Amino acid sequence: MSHIDPQVHRVLDGEIPADGLNAAQREQLATLTRAAHALSAVPHASVAARVMAEVRRPPESAGVRLARWLTERHAVTISFRPVWSLALAAALAAVAVIPGHGPGPVIGDQEGIAQFVGRFPGAKSVDVVGSFTDWRSGAVVLRDDDHDGIWRGTVVLPVGQHEYMFVVDGERWVTDPLAGRYVDDGFGRQNALLFVQSIAR
Amino acid sequence: MNAPRVLPTDRELSDPEVVTRILSGDVEAFGVVIRRYESGLLRYATRMLGHPDAAADAVAEGLVRAYRHLASCRDPARLKSWLYRIVGNRCRSHLARRSASDISLDDAPPLPDPSDTMAATERAEQLALVQRALETISPEKREAFVLKHVEGLSYEEMAEATGERIPTLKMRVHRARAALLEALKEEP
Repeated sequence: MSHIDPQVHRVLDGEIPADGLNAAQREQLATLTRAAHALSAVPHASVAARVMAEVRRPPESAGVRLARWLTERHAVTISFRPVWSLALAAALAAVAVIPGHGPGPVIGDQEGIAQFVGRFPGAKSVDVVGSFTDWRSGAVVLRDDDHDGIWRGTVVLPVGQHEYMFVVDGERWVTDPLAGRYVDDGFGRQNALLFVQSIAR
Repeated sequence: MNAPRVLPTDRELSDPEVVTRILSGDVEAFGVVIRRYESGLLRYATRMLGHPDAAADAVAEGLVRAYRHLASCRDPARLKSWLYRIVGNRCRSHLARRSASDISLDDAPPLPDPSDTMAATERAEQLALVQRALETISPEKREAFVLKHVEGLSYEEMAEATGERIPTLKMRVHRARAALLEALKEEP
């Protein structure tokens, strides 16, 4: 990696004028300034019509939403209120893979149950997005029915490894701090890893 | 007789005023937000993703999301940083979804049109060269350089847009400059 003199950084940060730079420093400054200028070209595109068409569209009626829900594929979300000790254990475990027995949703041989738990006091909504939702929000919505800041949700997922993140209030992506295993997301941060076991084991 | 009421133009409306209008049901006022920030957001997404179509998708998705969650924008005076944060998240999502074979970074910037003037062609070639160099540095350094030196955000605004601390961002910008300088040396 190239070394840049601290004086050049200070000039680029607007802290000092460029007058005192030597020739080599001026060359570095000029190269970076030219690069920033080139990148400042505004793309010849607009999404205004597309966005306004979407925001002008009236909200779907309950019937349309029901019809769409019935015809689309969904991850099944189950919410329940465990006793406090279980809740604490679940919060520490963050993601527990539970071998299921007894009554509940019909689960295939190649499916398992995953529980998501996160502590987000003051949050208005918490979603889980991941490789199993194609990184779209809305499919796995956590709930905090007792308003204690602990958000929970349980879903049926295919057996295997999945990446996920929490999305708080629809905009803040948060890596599960208690997941234990992570993978780089290609953006300098990390996705949490979840391993789902077959319930048939 | 009462004087006719003069409606303020886009430029006269502050971001909080625009947000208030939208939240009170004036859907068309969201057009002011788009006109005000679309160009910068498209440029930011294009530099991050390296492809104009993917950037347009990220910005469109981000703006629709911003409209739907506008009530959760706690400080409308900082609407700009909030929008960059949402579009940044969409860019991250696109980067996570796309496979290595999805997009060739080499074809990212548009090729110069033969009918362009010589100056326009030179500008396009310079942009292509710098964009190629930018693609070789890590996404977080790329983001830091673009937000600081292309979008002109202050470190405070960058902190709001990325959720990172200011000292972290300063260090990241310094490293991004060095990495980009190195990458530019290696360009033909």
